[in-house]
Amino acid sequence: MSESGLRGPPDDAMVDLLVKQVTDGLSSAEQRELDAMDAALVGRELRAFERAAAALTLAGTTLEEPPAALRALLEQRGAELFASSTVVEFKKAPPSPPAAATAPLQSASSRSDGSRRDASRSGTWGWLAAAACLILAIFGWIRSPEPVPAPIAQVEPTPVAPISEPQPQPQPPTPAEQRLAMLASADAVKVTLGATKDPAASGVTGDAVWDPQSQTGFLHFVGLASNDPRVRQYQIWVFDGNRDKRYPVDGGVFDVPAGVSEVVIPIHTSLSIGQAKAFAVTVEKAGGVVVSGLGHVVALGAVG
Amino acid sequence: MSPSVLQRIASGEQAAVRECIAEYGALVWSLARRLTRTPSDAEDATQEIFLDIWRSAGRFDASQGSDKVFIAMIARRRLIDRLRKTSNEPPMDSVDVLETVAWSDPGTASEISHEAERATLALQELRPEQREVLELGLLHGLSQSEIAARLGMPLGTVKSFMRRGLIRVREFMNIDAEGVSARV
Repeated sequence: MSESGLRGPPDDAMVDLLVKQVTDGLSSAEQRELDAMDAALVGRELRAFERAAAALTLAGTTLEEPPAALRALLEQRGAELFASSTVVEFKKAPPSPPAAATAPLQSASSRSDGSRRDASRSGTWGWLAAAACLILAIFGWIRSPEPVPAPIAQVEPTPVAPISEPQPQPQPPTPAEQRLAMLASADAVKVTLGATKDPAASGVTGDAVWDPQSQTGFLHFVGLASNDPRVRQYQIWVFDGNRDKRYPVDGGVFDVPAGVSEVVIPIHTSLSIGQAKAFAVTVEKAGGVVVSGLGHVVALGAVG
Repeated sequence: MSPSVLQRIASGEQAAVRECIAEYGALVWSLARRLTRTPSDAEDATQEIFLDIWRSAGRFDASQGSDKVFIAMIARRRLIDRLRKTSNEPPMDSVDVLETVAWSDPGTASEISHEAERATLALQELRPEQREVLELGLLHGLSQSEIAARLGMPLGTVKSFMRRGLIRVREFMNIDAEGVSARV
């Protein structure tokens, strides 16, 4: 990547791709072509074109009020987002062997999954088969070393907050505490997440817990590789048995900072989940994607 | 200056979420209705866009543009992604619907935002066929290929018109136009 001071104007090829991205979206091949260009320049020029397109869009849009039911649903979603906390909670990696504090959580999750597996295998295998397809799809991606453009940078990575600092005032339950409470609920769906062969998932253990009633849940990972949120972010997907399994529901993006070994991540689905069937985590461009190609899966698990 | 709704959301003020919906719900819903195929799609898209907005609120910088442009940028990204993922489905608008949309005049646009006003001023410098390409692409969500087919225009010309139009708007908005000129 060139230095800022040496960076020249975008060439015609870059501008053509950026205009197409802003107005049309890019094919995979075009995205790869853009990925190979100067990431910082691409990011800056893309934002400029996006602003121009947004201004034009505003100039041609006649406002129409949303339906009352949708407005109410949006308010509910907003309340849920805040209620389940917008922070991703992290525990700092210990200087040597795995954090003892994580062991009880993993045990609780495993016990629950064991009993569920015994209860219903047939439903599991259908979703595991779908999940297996996702695994097969990742191998072309695993070691893709291509440079990545600067993020479009409109979607904020979920804020993170270390929990090692003592809180000066009484606080609502942390995501870790909420997760533990949810794990104790008989109604919650609990899933062990299996790591794929992706390098980012090497040695990773993880689980998911989901409460169908509150439409909230948590992922928990130990050992997931850190990411650069300016380039790539992890994204959560929930497979809903009531929806087309080709299009899992976005559960939000998250980051793992360097030096962090254990993370608890609230799941914020963009749509209601009728019947959670499986959970997956992919690596996506910064800000996440609307519909994942599920080409870069790092962890997944099906409900037993 | 008091903090904007977006800045208050970023600082964790839950009440601002409801205000955000009241303030921008019509904008997001209107964009979603125009750039999705069904009302159900629009409802799903609206939820996704608002979730994005709340997550992204911390990145809003008033010195870089208005809140409405920020919202429209987020909405457009989501909607374009959705459109292209379903590009094998039938076109979303009939010809009749396409003909009902028009650009605001600068006076009306100025009530929406300063950037919208500048955009309409830039549009006035473009030829009618160039404006039509921008309208079909940005307001109706047609792909460049769809525009070419609809207007009976070479794809290269569509690309050129789209590019020239956006660059002209950038110039009028004084958006960092470093090195970019209206090449055609």
